[in-house]
Amino acid sequence: MSDTSSDVVIVGAGPSGAVAALELARAGMAVTVLEQGGWVAADEFDGARPEWELTQLRKWHPNPNVRGRAEDYPIDAAQSDVNPLMFAGVGGAALIYGAHWVRFMPSDFRVRTLDGVADDWPFTYDDLAPFYEYVEEAMAVSGLSGNPAYPDGAPCPLPPLPMGRVGRKAAKGMNALGWHWWPGSNAIPSRAYRGLQPCVLRGTCGTGCSDGAKATPDRTHWPEALKLGVRLITGARVAEVETDAKGRACGAVWIDRHGARHRARGDVVILCANGIGTPRLLLMSDLANRTGLVGRRLMMHPYAGVMGTFDEELESWVGPAGQILVSMQFYETDTSRGFVRGAKWNCMPAGGPQSFRAGYTGGTLTEGWGAALHDGVARKFGRSFEWGIIGEDLPDPENRIVLSDSLTDGDGLPAPEIRYRMSDNTHRMLAFHTARAVEAMEAAGAISTEVTPLIRDCGWHLMGTAVMGEDPETSVTDQFGRVHDVPNLYVFDGSIFPTSSGMNPTATIMAVAARAVLNLIETRHTLAPSQ
Amino acid sequence: MSLSDEDRRKLDRLAQVMLPGSVGMSGASELQLAHAPVDRVLRIEPALAPKLAHFLTRAGFVGSLGDVEALAQEDPEEFKALEVVLANAYFMHDTVRGEIGYPGQEARDSSVGLDDRDLALLEPVRARGAIWRE
Repeated sequence: MSDTSSDVVIVGAGPSGAVAALELARAGMAVTVLEQGGWVAADEFDGARPEWELTQLRKWHPNPNVRGRAEDYPIDAAQSDVNPLMFAGVGGAALIYGAHWVRFMPSDFRVRTLDGVADDWPFTYDDLAPFYEYVEEAMAVSGLSGNPAYPDGAPCPLPPLPMGRVGRKAAKGMNALGWHWWPGSNAIPSRAYRGLQPCVLRGTCGTGCSDGAKATPDRTHWPEALKLGVRLITGARVAEVETDAKGRACGAVWIDRHGARHRARGDVVILCANGIGTPRLLLMSDLANRTGLVGRRLMMHPYAGVMGTFDEELESWVGPAGQILVSMQFYETDTSRGFVRGAKWNCMPAGGPQSFRAGYTGGTLTEGWGAALHDGVARKFGRSFEWGIIGEDLPDPENRIVLSDSLTDGDGLPAPEIRYRMSDNTHRMLAFHTARAVEAMEAAGAISTEVTPLIRDCGWHLMGTAVMGEDPETSVTDQFGRVHDVPNLYVFDGSIFPTSSGMNPTATIMAVAARAVLNLIETRHTLAPSQ
Repeated sequence: MSLSDEDRRKLDRLAQVMLPGSVGMSGASELQLAHAPVDRVLRIEPALAPKLAHFLTRAGFVGSLGDVEALAQEDPEEFKALEVVLANAYFMHDTVRGEIGYPGQEARDSSVGLDDRDLALLEPVRARGAIWRE
């Protein structure tokens, strides 16, 4: 077993791990990062190749159970309404994210105070705003400042991407109803920016950017972090966080791709392994779980969609994808609707012709073939777009991950088992929102609409499973991700979110990680073993 | 894994039934879909080949979608492999792409940003003012 030592050991090289590693290195600390995946070069992605629609079915699928790479761990989701999605690699799931970049709303931090549900966050939107701005600069966010859904207009460092025919069509429908919309903000540069290429609107963001444009941590953070001396070990699956006789974290044991075990010692350990991987590792290490909250309160953002078809050519395979528009019209609570909290909408292109191949009506297996296939493609391809709906998922301690007693990964470690059910509040919320989205499509002139009430492969947003708070009896970490039970162990990813909001969380994950790591740097003198 | 002549004849017939051609789109037989286009898909995604081969082994003569449906019901997973192979062979074909006006996920200039029409559309949104909740 090899044995290395550094000031800090970080588990995971995705968005939060990248922020942490870079800031710690800038502060002069020695950092080792353990990442179970590897590097993925832009030219490995298939967006510019004819087989793009083929390889997204397995090779670039976001569900690790479908993808089945050696670096993936399997997930037992048989008892879940939603499949969790992720990607193991330098840059994490951002490699295949849609780069939808939205801040949480001010109300998201105060849901207990405002709506009497869940918990307030231990800090406010105003507290986090400077960190949003900080990470938005790094992530090349393109968008239009002045969005009236935010108190500060959610400023963006780069000008917005084009709306295209789809965006204009959708906007006209929203205007006809007097509803809020705004050009989408995306972590996709509309200009060449700090080593990133300008977006070419290929519309393949969700299967990886083949053009080196989309802002992902492997391109935005890791080059500088490596120059500053961060030791990044790929193919390193962490089996356990180790503690010393005093109960302090002292490093991690990891397994290489040949099955050999290694030890990485550190004065501080930070977990950035996502809302499934982080609680899995805490449970495997039997750490931080005095309250029994580790793994509980899992939130995954059930996602619904409404597709509208129009009788005119919209070139609806053109990107960004990416979000073309957003709407927060029904984001805030109105209890007359029969539920609390709300959802964000994103207007998305419809993709290539195979999006319209299958029959989705629950009929025969062959209903989408024969003349029906040709008719469907002729009628819908290039003429359709989607309003996607991200509903706020409130925390429930019964929605959780546990360690499977029957399924293991390639190294024999227990796989996570997901127990997750959509709440009645969420069912009512999505029903309301899909009905409104149908109205928006019809107001825009849609000749037909199709509602997908829940997309099972939608669990991109993994949050809540090591909740932060001020009270050690009701939370796992403090507001800076410092584990109450183990003072030199931190969690910086979405696991610490008390609530989910109805927003794509990467902006907030990175902003919260930036706030937390700066606190760690400022308070590092308190972390000495004698403290 | 290569397909036998018998497999390819069955696949050709299945493709003709499932992709007969209509509304300006070529049919599978015109494109000889069961030959080079299918081989191209299997080269890129060889994991599809065993399930496809099993499906073809079970398949007899199919004369209609109803016949295909009966085969599909016997093993939906194998049928799914057939669907993926045929659909990708078809929509990756340059002729079909030309017929439906699909250039593929092509590169375009994003720096054009928003134009005056777009900004005009935003006027009513701006006029309604703030919607965030304190």
